[in-house]
Amino acid sequence: MASVAAGHDGSTSDDVLVAAGLVRRFGDLTAVDGISFRIGRGETYGLLGPNGAGKTTIISMVAGLIAADAGTVTVAGQRMGPTAVEPKRHIGLVPQDLAIYPELTARENLTLFGKLQGLSGAALTGRVDEVIELIGLTGRAKSLSKEFSGGMKRRLNIGIGLLHQPTLLILDEPTVGVDPQSRNQILESVEQLAVEGMAVLYTTHYMEEAERLCDRIGIIDSGLLQAEGTRDELVRLTAGADLVRLVGTGDLAAATEVLRSLPAVQQVNGDRHALHVTVTDAPAAVAQIVTSATAAGMKLADVEITRPDLESVFLHLTGKALRD
Amino acid sequence: MRQLWTMTQYDLRQRIRDKSVIIFAIIVPLALMFVLDLVMGDLTNPELEPTTVAASVPVDDQLATALVDAVRALDGNGGLAITVQPAPAQAVHDLARAGTVQVGLLVPDGFGAALQQGRAAEVTIVSGEGTGIEQTIVASVVESAVERFSAAALAAAAGGASGLAPAELAAIGQEVATAAPTLSLSEGVASVEQLSSTGALVAGQAGLFLLFTVGFGVTALVTEREQGTLGRLRSMPMPAWTIVTAKALVSFILGIVATTILLAVGGWFFEVGFGSPLAVAVLIVAAVTAATSLMFVIARVARTVEQANIAQSIIALVLGIAGGAFFPITASGWIGSVLDLNPVSAFTRGLGITAGGGGLAGLGTPLLTLLAFAAVVLVVARLIPDRGAGQ
Repeated sequence: MASVAAGHDGSTSDDVLVAAGLVRRFGDLTAVDGISFRIGRGETYGLLGPNGAGKTTIISMVAGLIAADAGTVTVAGQRMGPTAVEPKRHIGLVPQDLAIYPELTARENLTLFGKLQGLSGAALTGRVDEVIELIGLTGRAKSLSKEFSGGMKRRLNIGIGLLHQPTLLILDEPTVGVDPQSRNQILESVEQLAVEGMAVLYTTHYMEEAERLCDRIGIIDSGLLQAEGTRDELVRLTAGADLVRLVGTGDLAAATEVLRSLPAVQQVNGDRHALHVTVTDAPAAVAQIVTSATAAGMKLADVEITRPDLESVFLHLTGKALRD
Repeated sequence: MRQLWTMTQYDLRQRIRDKSVIIFAIIVPLALMFVLDLVMGDLTNPELEPTTVAASVPVDDQLATALVDAVRALDGNGGLAITVQPAPAQAVHDLARAGTVQVGLLVPDGFGAALQQGRAAEVTIVSGEGTGIEQTIVASVVESAVERFSAAALAAAAGGASGLAPAELAAIGQEVATAAPTLSLSEGVASVEQLSSTGALVAGQAGLFLLFTVGFGVTALVTEREQGTLGRLRSMPMPAWTIVTAKALVSFILGIVATTILLAVGGWFFEVGFGSPLAVAVLIVAAVTAATSLMFVIARVARTVEQANIAQSIIALVLGIAGGAFFPITASGWIGSVLDLNPVSAFTRGLGITAGGGGLAGLGTPLLTLLAFAAVVLVVARLIPDRGAGQ
């Protein structure tokens, strides 16, 4: 792992979550392979990785849904696991699936889970009212949730997770399949919660969300934590390299070989439709890159130059595009 | 406990809103009871039609007249309405063929004399159009009367050969013809574990659909696994067993309510009394416990709602049919012993006991069978690997 932030091995009194050496296997597949990270009070931590990287499995262990084959999870100083009860009072889980009851109204869904979290009486009623307003369902609180749009269901799904004001809010890809307006509303809600001091564990495969929301980010691929740090710390792993993306057809394999021989080029990765070329100074090298690729038999349809971002970090670390 | 009740309460609310439980646990079985009663009721409780018998009898033949009187005496017995209409011999066949009468009876001239002399005499029964069991009854009575008259004549002839006086011979003949039979056949009294056919239908259908009703709990559990709410429930601060227990409690409550309604409505409509309400209530609780235990097995083997529905249907139909939910099944030996372990059989048998006036004390065997069934099934469920655990 390319570690850019030191001091994460031991927990401190500020740590809400400490995951240490987590391993989980499904038959011959090792879905999570020795992952460790921690989240401090009021911190938003992102797990960034493509689909199938192991993010949901990590979430399942952190929330005590499944047991780890090795390693430990500690929430608010208490050991988490499938049979644990006390540490679960501190977490609010927002699963990737819409974990709501279609035959219950929005208010009933919130009330049910609020009661299960231990709320009751006026505290429960007051909190349900607050959350309904927060997720923008005031006018639809008495409607059955099966009648809601996808975005409204997503917001209710999130509302249930934060109803009891958990110490740690766990959001597993909360914006998948959501329209842009609802997505923005969800991101704003998470930002607000972070401001209020809630620790957030946020998994996503959207680079923009991780960059916008997260104080620190763990880049995960194939069950391994590839790197961890703030956005700027991670970007520095690319040594300031730019990314030139060549989109086209023709002989991409020959173009790859030619481009790798150019002095300015650090790395070339590609797929059937595009080549991702990591270079020291893109504006100075792009003309030579285009000429060389064309000469090697690639028919270019588009050329993009991007400054270093989490996408290029992921590419740099794994040799794959984030959304492959 | 508070969380257990909260989950149960909200789950029941969803089941009621969903309406499928009302349809499949109450409306469908009641409708099926009515349909099955219409289809099978005629087989078990035949309706006897009014019957007219055209009788041709020789004038001044006392035995022939007595024969017709025996037929006439059937009127009003066991719901049979018999009218005997005198007719000339040549008209009997025509009347029967035309449907004017249902049965024709032709007693030949010299019938009485032939019997008294020990000679053969032939009585003809003519069946009309569309006649059924009524014609068979009339024929049986005629046959029986003829045999008695023959026996009396033979006894008198034997007495004559023995040198008895004519007055004594007449007395012997009279006695043989009119004496009560030394062998008698009477309608059996149903045993205390035997319900009437309609009662068995109501009890059997209630037992069968109980197995479907408790399935709503298991399908809810599998649905929650599929839709993700199970994961959210497992992230709540409560022991994992409360989730499954809440589903079992939902099944249990639905089973109790649905079975009580089915027995009450079915019993009222079909005029079947099941006896002591307390004993019936205890029996229902035991039957629902046995049925609910099956839910745990299905929850372990089914990964999807479809699989759960298929497994539940197979189990319910096999146990229901073997338990006599549609028609009585009788078997002896070890097969009979196995069938007796069926919860539907035990439930029906128990209702037979209560319907026959039995109380709690008489329900020992059915209650023990039902509770033992539940215990064994729960152990089996515990031993089966949970195929949905990794989801």
